[in-house]
Amino acid sequence: MRKFSAPEQQTISSFASGLSAAILLIVLMSLVLFIVLKGSAYFWPSQVFKVTTYDTPNSEVSVFVPSSVNIDEFNQALSDKLDAQFSNSALPMPLIVVEKVDAVYQISLNLGAIQYGKFQQVNTPNSERYQLAELNDVVADVAIFQNQLHDIQTNYLTVLHRKIALLNQSGVGEEAPARLKELEQFTYWQQKAEALRHKLASYNLIFIDAAGQPFDVLVKDIDHLFQPNVMSLFDKISYSGNKIIEFVSESPKQASTSGGVFPALFGTVLMVLLMAVIVAPFGAMAAIYLHEYAPNNMTTSVIRICVSNMAGVPSVVYGVFGLGFFVYTLGGSIDSLLFSDALPSPTFGTPGLFWAALTMALLTLPVVIVSTEEGLRRVPEGLRAGSYALGATKAETIWKTVLPFASPGIMTGVILAIARAAGEVAPLILVGAVKFAPSLPVDSEFPFLHLERQFMHLGVFIYDGAFHNQTNTQGSSMMFASCMLLLIIVFILNLFAIIVRNKLRDRYVRI
Amino acid sequence: MLKLFETETLSLDKLTDEQTAIKVKDFSVWLNNSLVLNKINMRIPKNKITAMIGQSGCGKSTLLSSFNRMNELNQKYAFSGEVELDGRDIYNKKENVAKLRTKVGMVFQRPNPFPMSIYENVCFGLRIQGKTERRMLDDIVETSLRNAALWDEVKGRLFDSALLLSGGQQQRLVIARALALKPEILLLDEPTSALDPLTTLHIEELINQLKKTTTVVIVTHNMQQAARVSDYSVFLHQGELIEYSDSDSLFTMPAKKQTEDYITGRYG
Ligand SMILES: Nc1ncnc2c1ncn2[C@@H]1O[C@H](COP(=O)(O)OP(=O)(O)OP(=O)(O)O)[C@@H](O)[C@H]1O
Ligand SMILES: [Mg+2]
Repeated sequence: MRKFSAPEQQTISSFASGLSAAILLIVLMSLVLFIVLKGSAYFWPSQVFKVTTYDTPNSEVSVFVPSSVNIDEFNQALSDKLDAQFSNSALPMPLIVVEKVDAVYQISLNLGAIQYGKFQQVNTPNSERYQLAELNDVVADVAIFQNQLHDIQTNYLTVLHRKIALLNQSGVGEEAPARLKELEQFTYWQQKAEALRHKLASYNLIFIDAAGQPFDVLVKDIDHLFQPNVMSLFDKISYSGNKIIEFVSESPKQASTSGGVFPALFGTVLMVLLMAVIVAPFGAMAAIYLHEYAPNNMTTSVIRICVSNMAGVPSVVYGVFGLGFFVYTLGGSIDSLLFSDALPSPTFGTPGLFWAALTMALLTLPVVIVSTEEGLRRVPEGLRAGSYALGATKAETIWKTVLPFASPGIMTGVILAIARAAGEVAPLILVGAVKFAPSLPVDSEFPFLHLERQFMHLGVFIYDGAFHNQTNTQGSSMMFASCMLLLIIVFILNLFAIIVRNKLRDRYVRI
Repeated sequence: MLKLFETETLSLDKLTDEQTAIKVKDFSVWLNNSLVLNKINMRIPKNKITAMIGQSGCGKSTLLSSFNRMNELNQKYAFSGEVELDGRDIYNKKENVAKLRTKVGMVFQRPNPFPMSIYENVCFGLRIQGKTERRMLDDIVETSLRNAALWDEVKGRLFDSALLLSGGQQQRLVIARALALKPEILLLDEPTSALDPLTTLHIEELINQLKKTTTVVIVTHNMQQAARVSDYSVFLHQGELIEYSDSDSLFTMPAKKQTEDYITGRYG
């Protein structure tokens, strides 16, 4: 083989490294771009096409189908799919017609379901026929009635119910006048509520579905009503804005196919912060011990190697350990010591936020230890000597000069830990993250932060979405949106930690 | 030779224990298994200035840092012999090393300010001793910085990072830091190597002032400086004490050939 001259080697090596950097950049960019494109499609209003399938000449099936692509691409995708399905089959290929119907409405219901249909009429109890333009008045009326109903339920029915329950408890007789009075009241309000409910049920809209069949939707169930095919750009933007706000501020609906991911977002951030609070001091202390106190011998080297290897242990192993040791053993003991009243139903002896944070702290501990040690190694010898020479003991020296200097190293560890913990799924499923949690781990009830509660996590939410929503376009695009959010969260948390690190660096480390 | 400051000279052979600040007896040091100091015997007189001279690598810094046990921070360190302070061997097992070091201050060869404000750098030793009273700290910071000829340059930015100071300013800052503790003995390892002649002169004046209350041991490569400021001088060569006498005699009529060669610049 020919030997390359020095300038040639220079060119080749710079070209090779440049090329690999470029490839890396392209891969990274396309990953982010893919997630962002797929994810943001969730927020953009879909168009609705009427798809009619003629299986045999006299049977046709029509449905309204939402789509994020335009009609040509939609047609193309459809015919590709048909070709693939029917090319090897004896069955005749069905005829499919796709149309864009401007008048179709998207009806988003309060519970998260979405329906499509052409508007026919508004019905009210007075049986007057309203135009759609007057829908706002109707909606306002319905809102008033709903408030009244809510008022009756909370201020009268629940209160009376409680009073009657108290009477039952204190053994007041069936026919006692006090009881009769309450019962009479209760019946009165119940009838009123029933009347309101009846009234509400008669405010409805009639739509016609793709096959021409009418269906009705109660006005009180409607969250949002609009014509996606004739939206102006401004309408689309404001729709997206609302959808984004809904996404980050509301709970999931319809088995996690619509609504928002606020609990998962909140759970992720809380878990990660809790983990950082646990892992930073522990990791720093362990590293300080290893670097400053442990004798420089075989044992220390072995420990060091073990710590680095701990970083390579598969995360699910940590999850199993967390479940077996933290949840069952530690949690079980805590329960029998402190919460024995509540047994056999466990308080801490069940997967929950604290155990998840602890498990993740354990999982990220090696990273923090290694980067703290790296930071400690960079502390100039002169700094220690200066401190000792002024009469500081070892502890004072470490605390006042070494640790501040090594703090950027600790922060580097925490940054890596955050990125890792925010993205983990497998161990979290075992130790406390669930796909749906009825309540947030923080609320107004003492002690405000409920470490024993199960929580939702974006990673787990995405994992769940990937499994259950393969057939549901709406759900899978919500999964991509969650992915995008997770990326953004990790980015923001990292940014925050990096800013802190740079502050520390400016402050303590010579430039 | 020009002598700036006149002092009475004691004869080194006839020093009483009261007149002795540090007594070094058969002191040897091994670093990394090689002999660095070989059986040093000397008495450093109290409230005088003693200069240490010798070729680079001859063990000046090592001997200096034996006086406050800073040597021990080295990984592979071994010693034999004694260093006595106030009649007590500082290498005894029960010695409170932290307290010893507040009494025996040290300024290192390389300036090593802490990554803190100028003010906090000077206060560091006091804070370690649990002194927090603001007025007192302010006073000590000002006097120490004035003594180290740094006050005028930094009085407007006491709370800026010390790392932003120039090399020479940092050197004076670490001198101020050591002065703040008012040590009984001050060990200076080439304190003026990074300073201009005028500031050097100022530091030399300071050293002379300190003599009233403090014993100063100074390492220097500058023969003129050693002759100017010191009362006594010791010449080390390859870990051996070659000659130790009052500076006047050492620099004018050295007893040993090696000393003469060194101070006249024939080697090193
Ligand atoms: N930590 C150490 N480990 C091994 N050898 C060392 C160590 N520190 C110093 N030495 C060696 O000990 C000898 C004396 O070093 P020392 O620093 O006391 O010299 P010095 O006289 O102060 O020199 P200079 O004038 O250059 O400062 C040198 O040969 C040096 O290489
Ligand atoms: Mg030296």
